Amino acid sequence: MAGFEEVNYYFRRAARVMDLSPHVERMLITPFREVKVDVSISLDSGELGTFIGYRVQHDRSRGPMKGGLRYHPTVDMDEALGLASLMTWKTAVVNLPYGGAKGGIAVDPARISERELERLTRRFVQQIHDLIGPQTDIPAPDMGTNAQVMAWIMDEYSKIHGFSPAVVTGKPVDLFGSRGREEATGRGVLFAMEEFLKDVGGGEIRGKRCAIQGFGNVGSWTARFLHEAGAKVVAVSDHRGGITNPEGLDVPKLVEHARRTRTVAGFPGVDSISNAELLVSDVDVLIPAALGGVITKENARDVRARYLVEAANAPTTPEADEILTERGIPILPDIYANAGGVTVSYFEWTQNIQQFTWEEAKIVGELRRYMSEAYATLSRVARERRVPLRTAAFIVAIGRVGRATVLRGL
Amino acid sequence: MRPVKDLVQTVCTVLCKTLTPAQAEEILAVTQPRAIPSGNIVFREGEEGSGLFLLLKGSVEVVKQGPNSIAQQLATVEAPSVLGEMSLVSERRHSATVRATRDCEFQVLAREDFLRLLERDNLAAHKLVGAIAEVLARRLRRMNEMAMELLSRADAPPPMEELAAFKQKLFSEWSF
Repeated sequence: MAGFEEVNYYFRRAARVMDLSPHVERMLITPFREVKVDVSISLDSGELGTFIGYRVQHDRSRGPMKGGLRYHPTVDMDEALGLASLMTWKTAVVNLPYGGAKGGIAVDPARISERELERLTRRFVQQIHDLIGPQTDIPAPDMGTNAQVMAWIMDEYSKIHGFSPAVVTGKPVDLFGSRGREEATGRGVLFAMEEFLKDVGGGEIRGKRCAIQGFGNVGSWTARFLHEAGAKVVAVSDHRGGITNPEGLDVPKLVEHARRTRTVAGFPGVDSISNAELLVSDVDVLIPAALGGVITKENARDVRARYLVEAANAPTTPEADEILTERGIPILPDIYANAGGVTVSYFEWTQNIQQFTWEEAKIVGELRRYMSEAYATLSRVARERRVPLRTAAFIVAIGRVGRATVLRGL
Repeated sequence: MRPVKDLVQTVCTVLCKTLTPAQAEEILAVTQPRAIPSGNIVFREGEEGSGLFLLLKGSVEVVKQGPNSIAQQLATVEAPSVLGEMSLVSERRHSATVRATRDCEFQVLAREDFLRLLERDNLAAHKLVGAIAEVLARRLRRMNEMAMELLSRADAPPPMEELAAFKQKLFSEWSF
């Protein structure tokens, strides 16, 4: 997954290009605050359940810190630290007035009841309420959490601090959420891909053959937007297996099937494909949209896609990144490609603070503007400095975070 | 050449206090005199160890190649003293280069001759081993201090100039 050292590998690669001194490098990498808390609740069985909650706040030089809350058994401090620093660079790449944070609880949400999940969330808020807030740290949904969990967070926080819808984003649209937030990451992937393909000589989205790994929020919305834009989604997969149709899948029907059965497997009239086969299938664009670390030095030489778009966080290991770059396969890096989610979170926060709601068209238009402006800078830096887009993204991010840091002073 | 009596005196009082004059003469009997003019190399780092150099007159500098191939001066040594003691006891190549910084006079004890004396259980040779151990201990202590100083320097807080240089760079070369 995205451990701290893995994120720092790419950070250091950019730091070397910029010739940063070791002290400055260390100053930028070191997190602002790491918190680990006990989250104990009474389970439905009457037993005591004790879980560990984490919140890492990485950097606050550019604004309140922002990042997801993840409920997953593998959540630990190293992962939270890595993802928190990734959020610092991601918000800087798209130029949102935020710093980076991340956190979560080491728990499998599928193995506890809805009522236990609510008690767990409220207890966690009681443990960290003095560290988060609309002007300090604003959590958002991530793996294992959703709009309902965000609603509980807003409610619990508001009990202590008074009415505070802006303490969290990704809330339900009926409770201070934003239109277009649910599909924001997928829509952002589409906008990012349009800019990317145009820039690296891939032409337009229409007719492109795409394979998507993962059919959760990000994967399924990306599939829908690509389908609407005229691309052919020829293969998708999830944890239960994958499906393929060289002529292009019927995405709206597939979304309906996945909603009903909770998996893409068993969709009628198509061939089966494994996750490993999907990653090396013969397509124009490969889009990992689920787990980290799926493209490794073991399979990077077999990837047959002409372009890689990282909708997931850290899907490519550093070794695989080097192999693909050597092979001349352009990579659209995660810290830009999946930034649509946090960008619309920013719009949600802005609406909460303004106590004003935006129309969907405004959300979509503003998202497109943020994504294209960010790409224009990335691509210019990549060309001028002759570096890959990922290094360019980190250079842009380090520049923005660095300028805010030195202007504030110590 | 200085009188032999002077030599014996120097060896006994400065290099190896436990030697009797007779034992000092035994050692000196198997050494060869060597004169090195100022500026010349006495021995080079990496060369086969040639033996123990008794520095009787003059001064030298000890220089070692760093990892970035920049030569660093480790020490300056004034007569009377000994050099090459590491290669005498460990059969390794010379660990540093020694260059005469003034005209120097040495008595050189070749490793083979030294080992031959030791094999014969020569008491003077054994006393010399003790003296060399003392020299090594003294030089190791000095190296330890230098290592500590370097380590504490690496842990020192960042110089504020680095931050100023970073700021300068971000608003010129890396502004976009």
